[in-house]
Amino acid sequence: MTGLKNFEMSFEEFQNQSRLYVIGALEPEELEAFENARKDFGQKAEDFIGQCYSMHEAFALSLRPAKSSDALKERLMAMVRTRAKS
Amino acid sequence: MAIDFSSTAGVPDDPAEARNVRLPAAAPILEPGAPSDLDLMHGIQAEDPEALSQLYDRYNGIIKALILRVIHNEAEADDLLQEIFMEIWNQAKNFSAQKGKPLGWMVTLARRRAIDGLRKKQAYARAGERLQTETEQQPDAWVHNATEEEISFSDTRILVRQVIDTLPVAQQQAINLAFFRGMSQREIAAKTNTPLGTVKTRLELGLKKIYDGLKELRDEL
Repeated sequence: MTGLKNFEMSFEEFQNQSRLYVIGALEPEELEAFENARKDFGQKAEDFIGQCYSMHEAFALSLRPAKSSDALKERLMAMVRTRAKS
Repeated sequence: MAIDFSSTAGVPDDPAEARNVRLPAAAPILEPGAPSDLDLMHGIQAEDPEALSQLYDRYNGIIKALILRVIHNEAEADDLLQEIFMEIWNQAKNFSAQKGKPLGWMVTLARRRAIDGLRKKQAYARAGERLQTETEQQPDAWVHNATEEEISFSDTRILVRQVIDTLPVAQQQAINLAFFRGMSQREIAAKTNTPLGTVKTRLELGLKKIYDGLKELRDEL
């Protein structure tokens, strides 16, 4: 049954589902059909999903940057330098 | 019109069509000779702390804004910001330029961590209450004095906001609940007292408009 449904999913439907998928908004019952269609469409599907992730950048860039303390960066860099040496 | 989390009940669909506004796909304006994001990611992969330092300076404000949008707590946001940049340092080897840009990878990572943090603390209700209070008192609650980083992003932000603001309010709301709160379609339907099919349609239409805006810009570049 699932296979039949996947077979019937057009690429346009797959694109709509992909945009929901990348923001984690597909419902569990939609995921299986999506993953099967993803396999069916192959590299074309992977390329499209990759493009959809650019929306993450857009949503983040829509926000006004928030300020952080210099101390926070100093703590971070101290941890990183310790890791880099070890 | 600004995205408004505080009004979550029964927002009517707006039939207005989105304007044909260009959406930037990329990052801040860099000084001449400054390393690209990809250069910095390669530096981090080579375990160069200075590369992480520069990437932090470039994007900490955006990443923190994203975290704050999810969890609405300054102290927790700082803790998460530090953890996320440590994860960027530790997981940089998994980044592949073939799969996308460094900023996209970082945002995806940060969003996942922030939403995980929200869920672990079972803070949905608390955050919702805080958010409602914040938006009622000060709609643009993350406003502060402009920093150099903020100025470098401002043109980009304006263009992105123009696209988002052209979406009908109900579409904006659905996308925000999904992206910034990690809600499923069913959760959005329950929260907004809207039929599940309507939520799905709002998400699909809104995301397609945003995606098309991004694609249009890429095609022109």
